[in-house]
Amino acid sequence: MAAPRTRIPVAPPRLWDPVVRLTHWGIAASVVLNSFLDEGGSLVHVSVGWVLMALLVMRLVWGAIGPAEARFSAFPPNPMAALRHLRDLAMGQVRPYPSHNPAGALMAYALWATLSVVIVTGLVMTGGATPMQVAEEKAAVASGDWSALIKTGEGESDEDRAFGKAAKEVHEVAANLLLVLAALHLAGVFLESRALRRNLVAAMLTGHRPK
Amino acid sequence: MTTSPEIRTAGRRQTVALSVFLLIQTLGAVFYVGDVIGDLRDDPASAHFVFEAIVTTALVLGIVFGTFALRRTIEVLRAQDQALAVARGALSDVIEAQFSAWALTPAERDVGYLALKGLDVAEIADLRGAAQGTVRAQLTRIYAKAGVSGRAQFAAFFVEDLLGSGIAPVEVALS
Repeated sequence: MAAPRTRIPVAPPRLWDPVVRLTHWGIAASVVLNSFLDEGGSLVHVSVGWVLMALLVMRLVWGAIGPAEARFSAFPPNPMAALRHLRDLAMGQVRPYPSHNPAGALMAYALWATLSVVIVTGLVMTGGATPMQVAEEKAAVASGDWSALIKTGEGESDEDRAFGKAAKEVHEVAANLLLVLAALHLAGVFLESRALRRNLVAAMLTGHRPK
Repeated sequence: MTTSPEIRTAGRRQTVALSVFLLIQTLGAVFYVGDVIGDLRDDPASAHFVFEAIVTTALVLGIVFGTFALRRTIEVLRAQDQALAVARGALSDVIEAQFSAWALTPAERDVGYLALKGLDVAEIADLRGAAQGTVRAQLTRIYAKAGVSGRAQFAAFFVEDLLGSGIAPVEVALS
């Protein structure tokens, strides 16, 4: 094509691949579900937690062996670059990146770390019981067999109980932190979309580069 | 890029389907691994545990291979997209995208373009009203960011795409 000298608008990042999109929205939906819509400790809550764990595992595996811009190497955690990017953003002059921008990358790692804490403490609280086991236990209790409850209670020292209580505490604090981070994440996407004049949400939804 | 041909749309749909499938498999694997760990604590010697552990291992291996296959598919699709874009004469788009990927500054982009057009250092310096030393330093930075040894390899980086799509039909004919 002729006239390449005119400044073509800088190429947007490549399409987000389906795994990135599915895990992103799957995790978002699971977090909303478990934070606002179901009861902690319920079968639904535990099941969604396990789904969340699978989604996170998939995304982390994809971060190790997925295509270039989904890999961790495309967005290494770099607090200095993140600060620089935020300063650029405040001045409304951001430049596009082939993967996450440095601030967005840091947010991704923060969200994943917090999610991991929530998941691990959740597992500690349920004694690592799978949803199938939780369902069995609940069915047993519902049918009047309370031994399932006693079994988990016996042989538990004060130390165990304190540990469980601490896990519960951490689980709640981390879950709240997760919501705060998610809110910041939304604000960041909004500001970045405005500064780039590009709908970043649409790119994550459809995978198509918005014009 | 303008319209997407049916083949590419079909390829996209295939990657989405593969991703969904992979996610469901991962879901299953995570539940099974949890169950196996639970059994391990109960009775690691039972046939039930051994059998379940083998099945779970197979499942996990399947997921790992599936993930690699999916990545390959996505990369092949992208390579085809890129080859198509080059063939359509959208080379400047490709160069622009590649410059972005290398994170070239606006000044480096201009110099990079001029260098690709075959201008030498003196001409570029003239055009940009800059010192030759500056242009030389900018070129060095561009080569470093692109990971190429010099101007010839820098230009070859983009010509390679064109050659690749030219040779492909021959390979198809041979096989």
